[in-house]
Amino acid sequence: MLFSSIPFLYYFLPAVILAYFVFPAKLKNAVLLFSSLFFYGWGEPKYLFLIIVSITTNYIAGLLVEKTKTKKLKRLFLVLSLIISLGLLGYFKYADFFISSFNSVTGLQLPLLKIALPIGISFYTFQTISYTIDVYRGDTKAQKNLISFASYVSMFPQLIAGPIVRYSDIAIQLEERSLSFNKFAEGARRFIFGLSKKILIANSLGELCDIFKSSNEKAVLFYWLYAVAFSLHIYFDFSGYSDMAIGLGKIFGFDFLENFNYPYISKSITEFWRRWHMSLGGWFRDYVYIPLGGNRVSKLRNFFNILVVWMLTGLWHGAAWNFVLWGLLFAFLLIIEKTFLLNFLKNSKVFSRIYTLVIVVISFVIFNATDVGEAFEYIGAMFGAGKIPMVSSQLFYYFKSYFVTLVIALFGSTPLLKNGIRKLKENEKTAKLLNIIEIPVLIALLIVITAYLVDGSFNPFLYFRF
Amino acid sequence: MKTDLKNKLSTFILCGFFLFVSLWCIFKGPTDYSESERRVIASFPEINSQSIFSTSFMSDFETYTLDQFPLRENFRQLKAGVSFGIFKNSDNNGVFYKNGYAAKIEKEVNPSMLEHASERFNYLCETYLDESNKVFLSIIPDKSVFMKEQGLVSYDFSLLSESIREMNSNMKYIDIFPLLSLEDYYKTDTHWKQTELLDVAEKLAKEMSVAFEDTFEKKTLDVDFYGVYKGQLALNLPAETIEYFENETLSSCKVTSYDKGYPREASVYDFEKAKGKDAYEFFLSGSDALLVVENPKAETEKELVVFRDSFASSLIPLLLPSYKTITLVDIRYIQSSLLGNFVEFENKDILFLYSSLILNSSLSLK
Repeated sequence: MLFSSIPFLYYFLPAVILAYFVFPAKLKNAVLLFSSLFFYGWGEPKYLFLIIVSITTNYIAGLLVEKTKTKKLKRLFLVLSLIISLGLLGYFKYADFFISSFNSVTGLQLPLLKIALPIGISFYTFQTISYTIDVYRGDTKAQKNLISFASYVSMFPQLIAGPIVRYSDIAIQLEERSLSFNKFAEGARRFIFGLSKKILIANSLGELCDIFKSSNEKAVLFYWLYAVAFSLHIYFDFSGYSDMAIGLGKIFGFDFLENFNYPYISKSITEFWRRWHMSLGGWFRDYVYIPLGGNRVSKLRNFFNILVVWMLTGLWHGAAWNFVLWGLLFAFLLIIEKTFLLNFLKNSKVFSRIYTLVIVVISFVIFNATDVGEAFEYIGAMFGAGKIPMVSSQLFYYFKSYFVTLVIALFGSTPLLKNGIRKLKENEKTAKLLNIIEIPVLIALLIVITAYLVDGSFNPFLYFRF
Repeated sequence: MKTDLKNKLSTFILCGFFLFVSLWCIFKGPTDYSESERRVIASFPEINSQSIFSTSFMSDFETYTLDQFPLRENFRQLKAGVSFGIFKNSDNNGVFYKNGYAAKIEKEVNPSMLEHASERFNYLCETYLDESNKVFLSIIPDKSVFMKEQGLVSYDFSLLSESIREMNSNMKYIDIFPLLSLEDYYKTDTHWKQTELLDVAEKLAKEMSVAFEDTFEKKTLDVDFYGVYKGQLALNLPAETIEYFENETLSSCKVTSYDKGYPREASVYDFEKAKGKDAYEFFLSGSDALLVVENPKAETEKELVVFRDSFASSLIPLLLPSYKTITLVDIRYIQSSLLGNFVEFENKDILFLYSSLILNSSLSLK
């Protein structure tokens, strides 16, 4: 079920909120668990067993790791749980990728398994892995209550597209959390803004990207328009989803960590990755990069660690070579920045931002390509390869048609609005005015969003494939 | 307003809003048909273990909730208003709108579709026609071709017509493009206006070497006409009027439809259909696989077979006085291979009359 769908907004969500606030505190986790499993089963009932297996094995592993006294046995249980979690992820997400790569290298024709990717498997697998590792490290206590643990893993606000919530961050809230009008209102506001980002901006720019891809009248500047539009599309799509998840979390009394912090104002790729999909970056830092030795090793080994982390980051995003290439591009850039470029970028205000934006825009062309060949074709075309014209009538038409959306998206990807509102809130009079207009604005947004949903059918979430 | 109070109010109002809309969705009576989109509305899907495990229930339920949403038409209009008014999009749901005229966006010539159409035409020629037939081809430009000046991106009509001509070089091409302009089309519909087509009919008649007489009297149909684009655009557009030509010859013509497999009496102008969901079906009763029109007042023995789409329905009445019979064949609704059972082709003029919209998306031609 999509957040941005009529069944979710006007059937599922009101029913869950009603049940959640009607039932007593001790049953609230059970309400969350039941509704989350229904939410997941609505999209893919046949894969409910998968999430149940993941919950059960990691729940038992957590208890065994904690109860066992000897380090060897602790490690054994941890490794077993990792094998099961990564095995399921590997089989369901990467089996065909490995088979087709093997076929390409060997010339064999091994048949593909053609397994449909279970929704959200990358997200909840990483959550359960972080839980078991944290218990093994002694950073958190094992959860004794199966319902509490299951409601953490399957919690529908962040189940299928993140952010990756670590157990240690919400362990206390799973037992006891505060519910208040302030938190509910804040959560609802965040949810509606996230929904608006998704439906009014991301979906519209997604249409533009689809139009470009299906066009036979491409031009150099049309490629650039597509690249910029896709970069904004993926930001509004994913950050909108994170806003909705964080907002829903607040409605139910949870505080999830932020996942985006205006990445497009970054002055380097290093900074960009501190602002983009922060929960994933943090996960790889704590569970892969640092265990590999992080930067407390020789320079060469450190570069190797960076390469491993970013190749895995690429693979996490998709089982295809263009994602590996995408990850390795960032590894290469991060190594260059670490070696000498970062100091120069820190002293530059304009060039550093242009450099970062151009790299990011090009990287997303690789990200959204169907394969490596298309990625190179598109990037080549952006720089004039392929004897295509500079402009075309379709470019002019669609640039004009989507100009306002692009301008709003560009403005919205900076903190200008947020800072402006913060300044207005510092003044008592304007703060009161903002409070008065907030509710009508939220209702108006909901009505417009509903109108877009009722009229449109174009509504896929990008991060569902991860 | 203090922040605490605002948050309390916000919570109550938003919860109330969701609850109200939710209950409205659940208890609203079902709707069967969407007039603006001219389609049947989804009903509540069947629920059983198979539909659940295949997830067809879930996707059908989503369609149901969208189709049955309260005030659906108003919400669609609001979306169109925001799309055009705030986001300044040039089109909505793939339909461009400017200065009162709406047109579907048709960006590119589709060579494979043109090849398919030509392959069908060649099949018909090779299977049914011989030296006794004179074969003509004419292409009706889509309205979007005339809206380039308004900013609409549109395909190159000359490229499309050249391609079709090359692939059908055995036919005599009749170029009607110079005779047409945007004003010859309805504002909210794909089709052209019959009363603006005298010059087109005259040129066709001249090229096909038959006499053409303009003895028509213009009349106005007492029906509000909303074209197909109005529903797709979801804008509250004004109604148009349908004007048509009448004369003694047309009144005396006998029309027989073979659409249902047996002969059924029809009429040149169908006043019942004019009151239906698509008033353009007033002309020759709309889409019909096979229609024969006999002209008892004909002063000629000449007969014509027209392979056509819906554009011909309004044009062909203007050619009726020039022929003894006109047979209209729509191969979107009848297999080309079956035509020999119903139509005599010998010694008849043959006209392939198709809009560029159909040619550029010709998979429906059987």
